Order: sequence, then structure tokens, then C-alpha cells
Amino acid sequence: MKRSHVVLAALLLAGPAVAHHGWGSYDAAKPVTVTGPIITSKYENPHATLTVKGSDKEWTVTLAPTSRMGNRGASLAVVSVGKTVSAFGYPSTVEKDEMRAERITIDGKTYEMR
Amino acid sequence: MLDSAPGIFVALEGSGVGQAIRQSPWIYMAANVGHIVSLMVFAGAVAVLDLRMAGAFAATSPGHVLGGARRVAILAFLGLVLTGAVLFTAEASHVIMNAVFQLKLALIALGLLNITLFEFFVAPQVKNLPPLAPLPAAARRAGIVSIVVWVAVAICGRSIAYF
Repeated sequence: MKRSHVVLAALLLAGPAVAHHGWGSYDAAKPVTVTGPIITSKYENPHATLTVKGSDKEWTVTLAPTSRMGNRGASLAVVSVGKTVSAFGYPSTVEKDEMRAERITIDGKTYEMR
Repeated sequence: MLDSAPGIFVALEGSGVGQAIRQSPWIYMAANVGHIVSLMVFAGAVAVLDLRMAGAFAATSPGHVLGGARRVAILAFLGLVLTGAVLFTAEASHVIMNAVFQLKLALIALGLLNITLFEFFVAPQVKNLPPLAPLPAAARRAGIVSIVVWVAVAICGRSIAYF
């Protein structure tokens, strides 16, 4: 009895979810390709992120953990500000203007992010 | 971000420590691995303790099982808190607003409350009983509540990334 009350209270107190990593909150049925210059580049864990000036709007593009990116050749220098990137991926179902990239192409080279 | 997190969590994430965790090629990964390893040890110790309280391994001395498993569980819990704090700091402003994380915190509080009540009111009655002696109903209850709560905590932990 007491336990169920505590759990219920916790559920009521819990605010709306903010989506985060994992592929669960991205809509694989609506793939998008965002192409444009890199405006900002964060080479950080748990995932590197770019902001990219796409043709329609500015996108936040979520990439992979930095160690995986490094292993695949997508170093900090490759995803640096000012370069043109083409990112194929899926839009977030939760965060506005965010997408998670399956792969990115920079300077004619394609890097898998998954 | 849908809602803005309280300033302290924004500050924690933006702090030098937060930046160092995110920018290091290995700290975040090491904390992730350490969290899982700590969880395995914690779950093992808690399972032994809880199953004994629930009536399994009746031929063992409850006091000995309790003492040994408790020590391992405490060490593993410290490992969980330490590695969890690293993972949390890296993304504090997002994670604190995550409903599953909030539920996880509430369940951890419930698990710790269960342990506290057990240690104060039940463990003293149990620890000197001989092997094969029937345990009080409260010991059985505490053991079952503990297993359910800690499994739920682990499920929440793994689910944070998907909500």
C-alpha cells in the first residue's frame, strides 16, 4: 500500500521526458538528409553534435561517441566548423530540429555513425 | 530541451568537471563500464542476501550470509554512486528532467528506506538465528521488496536513454 503510493507520487512528480541518446526516439520512417555548412561542432561524449545550416532550417545533428568517430576516421578536424556536411539520418520525435545521423559525408568521404 | 532544468544542474553540466568528462575520450566510457560492473556485483550480493531473507539457502547461517553479502553490496553501491555521478554530471541538465531518471531516483530512495527499516527492525532478530530456523515474516517481506525494487531501478537506468 505504502509502496504503491510512493511510486504513484513519483510518477506524478515526474515532468515530461526529454529525449536523449539511443535510437528509440528517432523516426526511422522519415529519413532526412541535411546538407550545409557546419555552424558549431561539439566533439564530446556521450555523442558528438553539430549544428548545420540546412536548406530549410538550422539542424542539431547528433553523431556518435567520440571514440567510435575517431576509430572511423571522423576526427575533430574532419567535422570542424565551416566544412560542408551531408548528414543522412532520422528526425527526433521529441526534440525540435534535432536529427540523429546514420552516416555523414564530408569532403567526399562517408563515415558510418552506427 | 523542453523544460529548463534548475540552475544548479545547468551549472554542474557546464562546470570544468562536466566538460572534462565529455571531452575525454575515455572517462565517459570507463564510467559506463564501471557502472555496469558495479551493478553486476551489487545485484549478485543483493540477490544472495534477499533470497536468504526470503527463505532460500535455509541451511546457511543467516547472520553470516547477511554480514558477507552486506559488505559486498555496500562496496558495489559506492561504485554505482561514483560512476553514476560521472555519467550524470556529463548531461545533468537533460537527465534531471528525464521522467524515467526521476522515477529511478524515487525507487532508489525506496530501496534505501527498505534497507534502513530492515537493518533497524529485522536484522537484529535474524542475525543470531541458527541455520534452518524459520525467519520472521518481516525478513521475507523485506527480501522480496528489495529484489523487486532493485530490479526496477536497473530497468529504469537502462531506459533513461529511450525516453
